[in-house]
Amino acid sequence: MLALENEPPKEPVKYIETTIHLPYDYIAGDYRARYLRALKDKKILGSRCSKTGKVFVAPLVASPESFAPADEFVEVADRGAITTFCIVNIPVIGRNLELPYVAASVALDGADISIFSLIQEVKPEDVRMGMRVEAVWKPDGERHGDHEDILYFRPTGEPDAPPESYMQRL
Amino acid sequence: MTKLRNVAVVSFAQAPIVPTDEHRTATEMLYPQIKRALADCGVDRDAIDYQVAGSADYLDGRVFGFVGALDVMGAWPPRQDIHLEMDAGFAAYYAWLRMQAGDCDTAMVVGYGKSSEGRPEQVLNLQLDPFYQAAIGLDAISTAALQASAYMARTKVSDRDLAEVAARNRVAGARNPDAQVRQAATADELQKTPWAVTPLRKGYIPPVGESAVCLILAAEGKAEAMCNRPVWIHGVDQCAEMQTLGARDLTRSAGMQLATSKALRMAGLSAAKEVDVVELSAATPVEELILREAMGLGAVGSDGPVINPSGGPLAGHPLMMTGLIRLGEVFRQLSGRAQMHAVAGATSGIAHVTQGHCLQQNLVWVLGREKRWT
Repeated sequence: MLALENEPPKEPVKYIETTIHLPYDYIAGDYRARYLRALKDKKILGSRCSKTGKVFVAPLVASPESFAPADEFVEVADRGAITTFCIVNIPVIGRNLELPYVAASVALDGADISIFSLIQEVKPEDVRMGMRVEAVWKPDGERHGDHEDILYFRPTGEPDAPPESYMQRL
Repeated sequence: MTKLRNVAVVSFAQAPIVPTDEHRTATEMLYPQIKRALADCGVDRDAIDYQVAGSADYLDGRVFGFVGALDVMGAWPPRQDIHLEMDAGFAAYYAWLRMQAGDCDTAMVVGYGKSSEGRPEQVLNLQLDPFYQAAIGLDAISTAALQASAYMARTKVSDRDLAEVAARNRVAGARNPDAQVRQAATADELQKTPWAVTPLRKGYIPPVGESAVCLILAAEGKAEAMCNRPVWIHGVDQCAEMQTLGARDLTRSAGMQLATSKALRMAGLSAAKEVDVVELSAATPVEELILREAMGLGAVGSDGPVINPSGGPLAGHPLMMTGLIRLGEVFRQLSGRAQMHAVAGATSGIAHVTQGHCLQQNLVWVLGREKRWT
């Protein structure tokens, strides 16, 4: 009989390695499917809350705020104002970008919530809240109806948006 | 028995169970059910004090995926909320406990998830011990088959007996508009279906399905105004057993026996057979037989309550919702909302919820038409 007080073996059973592989096939749902398909045509769709009129981008089935259905699709502009931003100095998994770069929250014209995007064609130190930016799309024939269809946003050179125009959309 | 607070189920809404909903995400499936459950009890979102959800992020494939559901649960202004990585039937138990503590009068309980997006058998394999059980590829069907094999050896129950239990559920499920499998089947037909994992045939196990469910609970004083026939909770109890499959007798459910006896005592009943209707979260015919034995219901065919008039999990088994649907089904039966699959004159019932492999954890609800405590 083996005595339990003996030292356990150090090799080769100190650890076991388990690799977990779980594949998923996500259903976009009709809302996201319409939104993603529109990107192919350089259009950005939102959904409008039936109670407050607020426009959500990407479209949501219901307003998280009013709890009412958001069942009308509307097109919003592919340009807007930076509401908040950060300057990334450390590499992020899955993104092969030259450091430092700017990640920003952009309130598109016609939308009541902002989307997140990369800002390029500008020095990070020149980026500011209220800065007007526009989408830079992949060329025709190369868009697939996914978020990569918008490569990044860049400054338009327009005058900055006044804070009161985006303070409710931070 | 200590006097407790009377709490009732006042509303229940369920999306019909389907193999896959190609048009909606899990939260998009959930939103209309929440709206319907609230509309059916005539209140708006602000009337609900507390909310609790049951789902599994591994099934969703999204880390902290459950927070996405808050967008359709009406979480503004900020709400008291909790999430359980369990069947939403257990979430209802949490809500009931909070009501006993007296810090809320109304609660919304939701269950959701899209099993079709992932590989449930692989996810359920990961629930097991990684050294001895997960490593050899056991999943929920093979552990249920181990249990079935042991049970058949102990009781001499035959393949034919299993087919008959499954057939009775399938006949019942054909009358339930929310069931996934709505084709009735005979024991002869089911006994000819191919083996899934012996001794379980494909006809004895549920298909993968998905749904979205919302149930509303309300305490005495509010429940009466929210529902014409509230269904009152008379007793509830839950027991968990050990994880190691080889260390427990898989042919019996000691946890279910204990949970049932304690819930019955709370309800002031002496035996489960006194109720009119029972909804069991039995994912195989053998689990149904084990649960019947643990509840003291006697052999199949003996007098007693109607078991699974909805068709039970064999007619539709949306993971993380199956148990809450059992509670909702008993509500439907006792509140006159069951329609095609109604059990005539039912005034009391038991709903059972389970989690884990081979009935590891069991929750028992005893419900009635009248308030329990006066």
